[in-house]
Amino acid sequence: MTESDQPSFEQAERELGEIVARLEQGDVGLDEAIELWRQGESLHRRCLALLDAAEGRIEELTRDDSPPAGQE
Amino acid sequence: MSKVEPLVYGDRKVFTVSAFNRGVAMWLRKLPEVWIEGELTELRRNDAWASVFFTLKDPQTGATLAATMQRRRFDALELELTEGEKVHVQGRGEIYEQKGELAFRATTIERFGLGEHLAALERLKRELAAEGLFADERKRPLPRLPRAVGVLTGADAAARGDIVTAIGTRFPPARIVVAETRVQGAGAAGAIASSLAALAAHPHVDVVVVTRGGGSFEDLLPFSDERVVRAFAGCPVPVVSAVGHEQDTPLCDLAADVRASTPTAAARLVVPDLDELLAGLARTRERLTTGVRRLAERDRVRLSRARERLRTAPLLLLERRRAAVAATGGRLRALSPRATLDRGYSIVRAGGVVLRDSSATGVGDHVDVELARGSLIATVDDVRAP
Repeated sequence: MTESDQPSFEQAERELGEIVARLEQGDVGLDEAIELWRQGESLHRRCLALLDAAEGRIEELTRDDSPPAGQE
Repeated sequence: MSKVEPLVYGDRKVFTVSAFNRGVAMWLRKLPEVWIEGELTELRRNDAWASVFFTLKDPQTGATLAATMQRRRFDALELELTEGEKVHVQGRGEIYEQKGELAFRATTIERFGLGEHLAALERLKRELAAEGLFADERKRPLPRLPRAVGVLTGADAAARGDIVTAIGTRFPPARIVVAETRVQGAGAAGAIASSLAALAAHPHVDVVVVTRGGGSFEDLLPFSDERVVRAFAGCPVPVVSAVGHEQDTPLCDLAADVRASTPTAAARLVVPDLDELLAGLARTRERLTTGVRRLAERDRVRLSRARERLRTAPLLLLERRRAAVAATGGRLRALSPRATLDRGYSIVRAGGVVLRDSSATGVGDHVDVELARGSLIATVDDVRAP
C-alpha cells in the first residue's frame, strides 16, 4: 500500500468530521449509521496511525551555495 | 605626454620606471568611466590642496581603494559627507606617476544611503505588486499536518535553534528538513532562492518556513531581492516568512503565503499542537460513538412501538368485525318472517306450499297454520271466492 492510496491526515480528519455531523444530524437509517460509524472508527484509527508514524526527525538538506563541478 | 619608448639592450627591451608608469597611466586613461559603490572613509580635505583624498571601502570584504577628486568639484557638490557613508562614485582609475600608486579619480559622488535604497525597494515593490505577486488570491492555506516542514535558515545557530525548538515543542513528531544557507551579504539572494527551491522539491516537504533573526536594514536586503521575492511567489508549496523583527517588512513578506513575526508564531502556523490534536480526536470519536448509539436507540424505540401496535391490531380488528356482524344481524332480523308472525300474522301451507289464493284449496282439505309460537292443523269448512 502506497501513501497515495490512503487519505492524508487532513482528509481523514475532515471525513471523520463530516461523518460525525451526519450521525448527529440523525437523518440516516440504522444500517447506514452503522456503516458510517464503522468508517468513522477506521478514519479515527488512520489519524492516530499517521501521528504514530511520524518520527520527529530532523534532516539536513545539504546543499552548497556554489557546488563544485559534479556535485549537487 | 611623451611617448613610451623602451631602451634596447641587444634582444631585450627595457622600460624605465617613469616610462612604465606613464604607459600604465596612458592605458588607464583609455578605459571608460565606471560607477563604484563603497563606504567613504579617511576623507581629507584642505583649502590649500587642489584635490581631496578619501578611501572607498567594500563593506563586505574590507577591500579598499584610494580615491581623489578635484577639490573645487567636490566642494560644488555640497554633500557634507561623513565617515562610513555609502556612496556611488563615478570616475576612472589613475596612476600617480611619480610613485606608481593607483588611485580612483572621481568626477562625481552621490550619496547612496537608506533613502536611495528605500526608493529602489519602493519601485520594485510597485512593479511586483502590479504583476500581482502580492495579491491575496495567491495566498494558499497552510496544510494542517504537513508530512515534513522545510526550514530555511542562516548558518546561525540561534535562528535555527529557535524555529526547530518551537516546532518540536508544539508537535514532537514533526519531521523537519533544514536548509542552512547564506542569508546576508554578496550572493545571499541567489543562495536563498535556490535553497527555497531545493526545499520545495523535497518529496515530503508540504510547507516551508523561511527564518532569519533581526538585522540591519542592509542585512535584510537579500530578502527584498527580486529573485528571492519571485522564488517565494513561485514556490510550489506554501511559504511562511519569519524574517527579521516585527517592524521589518522585507518584500518577501508580501510574496509569502503567511507572515509570522517570530519563530514561535511560525511554528504555530505550520504544525498543530499535538496535545490539542489528540484531545480533539478523542472528542470526535466520542461524538461518533454517541451519535451511532443515539440512532440505534431511536430505532429501538421506534421498533418497540411498532411491535406494540402490531400486537394490539388483531384485537381491534376483531372488535370492529364483531360490531359489524351485530349490526348486520339486526338488519337481518328485521327482515325475517318471524318478526311478522310476532306481530300476529300466520302462515298457511297446504301440502308444504304457502297458500296465497283460497281457490288453491277445497272443502275438507287439511292445512298447516304456523303461528308466532307453535302451529295448528286445520280443516277447511268453506271456500270463498275473493
